[in-house]
Amino acid sequence: MTFRSKLFWIFTLALLLSVGVIATGVTLVTRRAFEDLNRRHSEALVGQFEREFERRGQDVGHRVQGIADAEGTVRMAIELSRPKADVSVYVNDAHGVSQSFQLDFLDFVGSDGSIISSNEWPARFGYKMDWLTQPQDWAKLGTFLAKVDTQDGPALGLMAVSTVRVGDSNLYILGGERLGKDFLASLVLPAGMRALLYMNLDPSFQPANLVDDSGPVSQGERFAPFLDQERQQPGKQTFRIAWTPDPAGSEAFHALPLQGRQNDLLGVLLVGNSQQEVVELERRIRLLALAVAAMGLVVGLLLSWWGAARVTRPVRKLAAGAREVSEGNWSARVDVRGRHEIGQLALAFNKMTEQLSEQRERLLQAERVAAWREVARRLAHELKNPLFPLQTTVENLRRAKEQNFEQFEEVFRESTGILLAEIENLKTIVGRFSDFAKMPQPELGPVNLNDVVRGIVKLFEAQFGAVGRPPITSELHLEENLPVIQADATLLHRAIENLVLNAMDAMPAGGVLMLCTTREDGGVGLEVSDTGTGLTPEECERLFTPYYTTKQHGTGLGLAIVQSVVSDHGGRISVESETGVGTSFHIHLPAKPPRAPASVTSAVQNPVLPSSAAETRPGSESAPSEGA
Amino acid sequence: MKLRSFLLLAAISIALVHPGRVETARRPRYGGTLRVEIGAVVNSLDPVVAAANPEESAAKDQIGALLYDHRNPDGTFAGVAGSGAFRIAAWEPGKHVTLAASENNRGARAFVDSVEIQMGRQARDRLLDLEVGNTDFAQIPAEQARSASEHGVRVSASDPDELVAVVFVAGRPIAEDAHAREALARSIDRAAMVNFILQKEGQPAGGLLPQWSSGTAFLFSTAADAAGAKQLWSQISGSPAIVLGYDSGDSLEQTVAERIAVNARDAGISITAESVTSPGSAAPNCDARLMRVRMPSPHPREALVNVVAMLGPTAALDVAPLPAGVSSDQVFARERAIVGSYRVIPLVWLPQVYGLSARVRDWNAPAPGESWPFADVWLEQESQ
Repeated sequence: MTFRSKLFWIFTLALLLSVGVIATGVTLVTRRAFEDLNRRHSEALVGQFEREFERRGQDVGHRVQGIADAEGTVRMAIELSRPKADVSVYVNDAHGVSQSFQLDFLDFVGSDGSIISSNEWPARFGYKMDWLTQPQDWAKLGTFLAKVDTQDGPALGLMAVSTVRVGDSNLYILGGERLGKDFLASLVLPAGMRALLYMNLDPSFQPANLVDDSGPVSQGERFAPFLDQERQQPGKQTFRIAWTPDPAGSEAFHALPLQGRQNDLLGVLLVGNSQQEVVELERRIRLLALAVAAMGLVVGLLLSWWGAARVTRPVRKLAAGAREVSEGNWSARVDVRGRHEIGQLALAFNKMTEQLSEQRERLLQAERVAAWREVARRLAHELKNPLFPLQTTVENLRRAKEQNFEQFEEVFRESTGILLAEIENLKTIVGRFSDFAKMPQPELGPVNLNDVVRGIVKLFEAQFGAVGRPPITSELHLEENLPVIQADATLLHRAIENLVLNAMDAMPAGGVLMLCTTREDGGVGLEVSDTGTGLTPEECERLFTPYYTTKQHGTGLGLAIVQSVVSDHGGRISVESETGVGTSFHIHLPAKPPRAPASVTSAVQNPVLPSSAAETRPGSESAPSEGA
Repeated sequence: MKLRSFLLLAAISIALVHPGRVETARRPRYGGTLRVEIGAVVNSLDPVVAAANPEESAAKDQIGALLYDHRNPDGTFAGVAGSGAFRIAAWEPGKHVTLAASENNRGARAFVDSVEIQMGRQARDRLLDLEVGNTDFAQIPAEQARSASEHGVRVSASDPDELVAVVFVAGRPIAEDAHAREALARSIDRAAMVNFILQKEGQPAGGLLPQWSSGTAFLFSTAADAAGAKQLWSQISGSPAIVLGYDSGDSLEQTVAERIAVNARDAGISITAESVTSPGSAAPNCDARLMRVRMPSPHPREALVNVVAMLGPTAALDVAPLPAGVSSDQVFARERAIVGSYRVIPLVWLPQVYGLSARVRDWNAPAPGESWPFADVWLEQESQ
């Protein structure tokens, strides 16, 4: 993953987190705001109910007092105060009076608590309402909630009591309004809200006692747990009922206990607030937030991409410069301006490459000088050996001419023979150098490496077991189905031949020569191992340096030629050696060499390779040298 | 002679001044139209055509009694229409009929020239018309007699001759439980019904015959016994409930049923009062029914036979027929047996109550089985 991509993803992640946090925050704040709004709506409705309740109560109180003050009622009280008064004549009066005063409940009750006339239960005349005759300041009590017995069953009423006193006799007027669907219908409710009334008239929860402005509430049993809790512990509470799996179908309720004059729970007002509008609004806001977030995300991504590109551009230039340097372009420079850290880094990079280039130039110069000195030393060494016999022979010839003419012919013949031999030796030396200088370009063709290896082993079989020298055992481990590669068979033959010769030289006391071919990624591998004396790490370091040799009569060009051949085929060679154990050369050859194999001349410029695992790679400029 | 004549006149005068009556003894006057309003709707005056309901049948019988001279032994009218005190002068089926006084009546000519009968008038309308003087005669509910009287309407009531009773429907499980029947019978406060619901226009009924007819009604208890009822009801296993049906078109029955429910619940009896749309028939879900039975005759035996005939099919009263000529003791024994079974619970006796205008004179409420004596009444000359 590129630095730009990393930076982009970091920006993106940061953006996503930011958007997520903001979206979550907005959602939470919005939800809280809506819940607060709901709560205030419900509280407003509860307040409205309480005000309406109080207003209705006052109204009921006024109407009941109006009945008490009416002439007919006063006359009734006077008549009833007389001994043996006939109360039966008033048995139907409550109905008419309640109609006139628009009361749902009305009872005329005598001094002894007996019902004289009842509107809500006409047949109940004569029965007692003893609680009315208890000492009580009814005017001070005002209106109160009460459970009223009617012929249709108990009901909840907003009641008031007035008394008409004549002498020692009291006539009680108990009147009130029914609290039920009509009362709820009179409440003005905002859209999405509704008011329910549970009339706590039975010992246990009864769904039929839960009404709204149209009658009993459907699915009233869903309220049972909340109302049971309210019945056990009256108090304001809030709960929510999910009517559908969709959250929009849920409804939040605020419960307000309605208590009677003895603090007994007679009813519960439930203010329901449909969550549909809120949920839909929340959804709209969430969708809007998502859309804005998505747009922000897209814009953020684009900006992140642009920002990452802008930030990483100098870095990429630096990376490209570094890559160029790693590929050998020591003159690579980075064009980054600015006073920021990247700019400073680019300046340092440019300065570093400039210094590296100068140092490399100096190093090359020094290496060239060293190489020429080595060539000169080798040439001098090689040429000095034949020159000394030449000089001695010529001096012997001259001395023989001057001192002993008779033997001159014999000396002359011997001397010329020596001279010719040494001259031939010189020609050979020069030929070798000439051969190395004239390394041909490989002519590629299909080659089976196993065949090449077998041919070389067959060629050297006689020498492995030659008389007068310790035997060398050859072992072949050739990979079957080795792929055919594109190579120059002659050059390969020559390179491997050099390795075998080196191995033989490394095993003067005999040993085992092992040649292994393997199938490798993208090509084939060859390993030539001996059980010879081995090399020191220092020797390994210089092994492929041209004209470097560890042998008495070596030219130091053998391994250099091997490396040159391998390099020209786009392959690489490495050596592993341990003193006293042996040496192992590993060659990797690609199935198809690159089009422009490295030239032999360029290989001279890069002679240095690692020590114990010295290796040359295609295109590298390692110099060939003869083996140890 | 003068003294004898004076004493005779004085005796006649005293006889004419009936206690409690407002009219004074005057010489009857011929002429005038008696305006009558009834609640029933009579669609045919032909005796052969059957009435649609008991109310129409009763009204048709009353009108027929004015048109025909006498009846056959089976109660049907004999002779032709017009042979009686009146003849039909105008007839609009279902709305009104005008009867003109027949000059050829075998007996004396009716005092009034005609009788106009408006049909299908509701009780409230009849009362209002009586109050404002738009009618001379109308039958009014007994429970409204007191109110009507307080509003200036002349009220005439017969002896109580209509029994209101709870009749258990045979075959219903709760109706077959003697404890349940007796518990309900003991829980009912009849006196309160008479005093409050009937406004004292009636009598508590303990037996199946009124005191004025049998003379033994006082032997049947009418007092409520809530404690006894409660004890009896507690002996019933399970948690039974009684459904008491009443005629949905009868406000008196509704009020009585609701009062019974109040009394019964006070005694711990589970009971509900339900209206029944088909009068006289037992609704499928009713365990008991409120029923009204009017005496066809002032004679105890005939009255008891009629009660058994009317209530027997519902209550499945297992009683042997009462032959003619049985003694009053036998009638009482039979009555006590029926009442003692508690399959029929007598509640109250109702009188027939009539409202009269101020100009109606010589009106006497008919006894059970008798017709309205319109031929005998006369109308006071209205002051100009």
